[in-house]
Amino acid sequence: MAITHSGGSTVRIEGVSKRYDSEQGSVQALKGIDFSVERGEFVCIVGPSGCGKTTLFRILAGLEPATTGGVLLDGTRVTEPNPDMGIVFQEYHLFPWQTVRENVDFGLQKTTVPDAERRQRVEYLIDLVGLDGFEDSYPKSLSGGMKQRVALARALAIDPALLLMDEPFGAVDAQTREMLQGELLDIWQETGKTVLFVTHDVEEAVKLADRILVMGKNPGSIRAVVDVDVERPRSRTDPEFGDYYERVRALI
Amino acid sequence: MATDLQGERSRTTETSDLPALGVDPRRAALGISGLTGFIGLWWVASLFQPEFVLPSPVTVANTFVAEAASGEMLTALWQSSLHWIPGTIIGTLLGIIAGVALGWSPLLDDISSPVVRTLRPVPPLALIGFAIAWFGINNAGAAFIIAIGAFWINFYASYGGVEGVSEDLLDVARSLGVKSDLELVKSVVVPAASPEIMTGIRTGIGRCWMLVVASEIFGVPGIGRRILRASNNLQVDVVISYILVLSLMFLLVDSAFRAVQRRVLVWR
Repeated sequence: MAITHSGGSTVRIEGVSKRYDSEQGSVQALKGIDFSVERGEFVCIVGPSGCGKTTLFRILAGLEPATTGGVLLDGTRVTEPNPDMGIVFQEYHLFPWQTVRENVDFGLQKTTVPDAERRQRVEYLIDLVGLDGFEDSYPKSLSGGMKQRVALARALAIDPALLLMDEPFGAVDAQTREMLQGELLDIWQETGKTVLFVTHDVEEAVKLADRILVMGKNPGSIRAVVDVDVERPRSRTDPEFGDYYERVRALI
Repeated sequence: MATDLQGERSRTTETSDLPALGVDPRRAALGISGLTGFIGLWWVASLFQPEFVLPSPVTVANTFVAEAASGEMLTALWQSSLHWIPGTIIGTLLGIIAGVALGWSPLLDDISSPVVRTLRPVPPLALIGFAIAWFGINNAGAAFIIAIGAFWINFYASYGGVEGVSEDLLDVARSLGVKSDLELVKSVVVPAASPEIMTGIRTGIGRCWMLVVASEIFGVPGIGRRILRASNNLQVDVVISYILVLSLMFLLVDSAFRAVQRRVLVWR
């Protein structure tokens, strides 16, 4: 059963800037961000802390308005979080009072998908992220990696055309992180969704992305866009991998 | 896809093996010895006092049995329940509704803040005049006093709970297609605040048993009335017997609610 009906979406970031005004003065967090993401593309946004990548993520997700410019998702302006995009945060943000199954089902409940199909889809997704057997567990009893799997399944459940992820594997241990990266790539290849993935980890970006958006700070802006032209699965020990790693490193 | 969960599985715990009532034999033994010590001290103290100052535990036990056997005690308990139950339920529900609404909506909060702050420090007892004027010397009047007590406790517990709900959970819910405020309150705010709301309900239940005495001060029959009358006649043994009834009722209802609370909050 396919979980995707929508395929990927295009994203256009048009002249986005963000300015925070406070009594201590104003801070230019983002300036003149222009960027386009193709349908089905996997794009990583990397940059040092304080470069505004999380601000950009929040604007992309419709959680915060841009001061100027805006984001177009398949040609429609994004003004608030909506089910056309699945959002995955670093801190999981599962609903603690719901079981794994209920968490995954949360978004589907608000749709018109018939009950039988809904149940089937939830089962399929729990399976897809490798959590069968844990359907009735509550988040408190899950490890970080498992929680992030639930969050991913929950975001995928409503079949968004775009997956927006903010350092999703930042809070899990190295081994789990590597596993989750592989699983995300599998899911991406299987579903053809567009993925926008924010990370501060250059290695992670080189491993995952078709293109890497490198950001710099003061003010947060695009420093370079790097096309990663390496066959998947990519290995750290590849000389090519190393070259890209060094190149992106040097840009930061 | 790889489903390798080794090392992660070990951290999972069973949620089903919660103790039913949570009685630990060691703690129970300590509790019983403490109680025995208390009654012993009371008994020794009573040897040096006249009965109308401090009756002995034995006298109280006899009175308790006599009151229970005569049916007086059950009647008083029944009469008190007639305002305790509706007062507690109505006050609790209204308190939760108001607390959630004001905790959620800054607009409602701003509008009602001056009124809330004016009314909050008014002790329920000070409202007896209103109880009589609006409802009369009857169960409704007494229920009103009790409801006021339950209302504020539940109001502040729910208000605080709602204020503490994480913005991030709300963002997630919006991104998953929750549109209206009402839907957001129903599917995220109330469940997320439920631990605080439940604590409020439990505190309120206890407070309402205390208010039973106060609510009967103006003549509504029940346990409180019985205590007040016995006090006037210096029947301290009767007073203590009925205080015991209140304690036992509190213990019973509180334990029952605790069991419910554990069920509902099994996810914590």
